[in-house]
Amino acid sequence: MSDTRRMLAEMVDPLFAGMGAAAIVERDLARLEELGLPNLLVPEAEGGFGGSWLDALTVFRLAGYHALGIDLPKLIVKRAAVADTKLSMAFARACQIAGALDAALALSIAYANERQQFGRPLGKFQAVQQSLASFACEAAAANCAAMGAAQALDRGNAEFEVAAAKLRANRAVEMGTSVAHQVHGAIGFTEEYALAPLTRRLWQWRSEFGNDAYWSARLGSKVIARGADRFWRDLSARTDHS
Amino acid sequence: MQTFATEAVDWPDTATRLRDQVRDLVAQHGERDPVRRANSWTKPNPAFSRKLGDAGLLGMTWPKEYGGHERSQLERYVVIEELLAAGAPVGAHWIADRQSGPLLLRLGNDRLKRRWVPAIARGEAFACIGLSEPGSGSDLASVRTSARRDGDDWIINGQKVWTTGAHISQFMIALVRSEAGSERQAGLSQFVIPMDAPGVTVKPIIDLTGAHEFNEVFFDDVRLPADALLGVEGEGWKQATAELSLERSGPERYLSSMVLFLELVRYAGTRTDPALQQLVGRLAAEAWTLRLMSASVAAKLARGEDPALEATIVKDLGNSYEQAIPQLVQAAVDFGDADAEVLRAVCFYLLQVSPSFSLRGGTREIIRGIIARGLGLR
Ligand SMILES: Cc1cc2nc3c(=O)[nH]c(=O)nc-3n(C[C@H](O)[C@H](O)[C@H](O)COP(=O)(O)OP(=O)(O)OC[C@H]3O[C@@H](n4cnc5c(N)ncnc54)[C@H](O)[C@@H]3O)c2cc1C
Repeated sequence: MSDTRRMLAEMVDPLFAGMGAAAIVERDLARLEELGLPNLLVPEAEGGFGGSWLDALTVFRLAGYHALGIDLPKLIVKRAAVADTKLSMAFARACQIAGALDAALALSIAYANERQQFGRPLGKFQAVQQSLASFACEAAAANCAAMGAAQALDRGNAEFEVAAAKLRANRAVEMGTSVAHQVHGAIGFTEEYALAPLTRRLWQWRSEFGNDAYWSARLGSKVIARGADRFWRDLSARTDHS
Repeated sequence: MQTFATEAVDWPDTATRLRDQVRDLVAQHGERDPVRRANSWTKPNPAFSRKLGDAGLLGMTWPKEYGGHERSQLERYVVIEELLAAGAPVGAHWIADRQSGPLLLRLGNDRLKRRWVPAIARGEAFACIGLSEPGSGSDLASVRTSARRDGDDWIINGQKVWTTGAHISQFMIALVRSEAGSERQAGLSQFVIPMDAPGVTVKPIIDLTGAHEFNEVFFDDVRLPADALLGVEGEGWKQATAELSLERSGPERYLSSMVLFLELVRYAGTRTDPALQQLVGRLAAEAWTLRLMSASVAAKLARGEDPALEATIVKDLGNSYEQAIPQLVQAAVDFGDADAEVLRAVCFYLLQVSPSFSLRGGTREIIRGIIARGLGLR
């Protein structure tokens, strides 16, 4: 991670943690504006932050991690004047899903290590361990996909990558939300507990800006049109230096 | 928390040239039959391995002094992902190039290194791994094959099983009990055993596809010189279980069914079927994601880090992906179609082989247990 991005993360993380799911525009937007966050993707020449898509990933992901109550990603994309809003918002939601999955995973692991039943922590039971391991794999995939899409956006043409990232993140929601709730038992099924704001948004983000069917059809028809013999060539050419 | 810290992979400038080189080689000397291109890293073809050796594509990262080519680890990564994506028959040298060579270079004495490493890099020496025994599968610390001292020599007795490629290999790196009466992880050592040593017997085991890939290997008073000991006596467990990230996270963990995906794309191109489009999209997204994950681990390894948790995650996700492809293709395609012939053949082959994907190299349950520990559970 670059130094400016690390500084960005260090600024945003505690801020979003403090505001959390309860953040509202009327009260909290002013603070975000003060820090220039809604202008993250506005070029410096136009008085913005001049951030890259990797910077955006950092902010979007942390907004997801803390289930930030204000739709800051939407504001950022709106002000960025991007060519394809749906694509950019699909990227934003993929990053938010990645962050929220990591947060739900962290909660689940902490809970499994703390909650005792049958005289030992839940985390000692192999069935619980295996579910959480699978959850971690899905969270990891969503995070990698978001990162890959951010890199592609910074390189230019990123339609394939964003489609793939949103689709992959969407798919991870299923395992992530179900394992997180299963491990938490009844406490996770309360309004008060910190899991609900995460999982409610995960379900919402999965549907927004393209569900699984939408992106898989779009991606699939492109891949099929290019043909079997070009698939791997295209895939490797996307990342190689030209 | 971030379970899988992702960073940009700085692909080598030489990548395009290396890919072209590999593609030419595979076009000339590779397999045409799509069934033979599936799961190709267990398909031995010694002549093809020698071609790779001649082209400088084996032992790529090793010192020139030992026949290597001192290329970067990511250059090697480019080469192996190209070979696997094309379904090239790399089974003969795969284990030697991936792990036995590096292990010898890391721990071997000079005689062992000179005897084996340059020959591996030429594509002339192949290796097998002697871990599993009839009583020791997942519970590897229970191995009983023994090594006892006789003067300066060692005498090996016992049996290994499921040994891939033992019948085409020149040597085995075996984990054995070198201290009588020792228990579990203590008292184990690694030995380099020439497969033509008197007292070594290899018996084929035919797998459920009818292929002969793995074997039983018996050791009956096999006499080895003192310097057949690899590394340090009694440190075998630590040596055998260290640095597993490379073999857990390589492209072979997600590409074993790639040829079937490509045949699916070809088949889908001949009709307009929304269900097939969606399936292709989903599998393409997963391939793209797994490639990023696998390459990201490779990049960390290249920088000298050991991303053990990330590597284990790649194996679990990758194996599940390669196993899901034949199941999903079978569910989606009507094999009664005349033009589904190739697809059907590859699919049925992979349906049969794919159960092994989450067994070899550590079972799914063991791998998930390792992930859980990495997450801070237990
Ligand atoms: C194609 C193929 C090639 C192979 N090549 C080699 C080779 O070259 N060299 C070599 O040494 N070995 C090789 N193996 C062996 C492989 O390493 C073993 O199959 C593997 O370690 C599992 O051991 P096992 O088959 O004895 O199963 P077992 O250990 O008996 O396991 C059977 C089932 O029980 C589960 N299980 C076991 N213990 C636990 C536990 N503690 N908790 C939960 N579940 C558990 C397993 O996950 C598995 O599902 C190969 C295997 C295959 C299939």
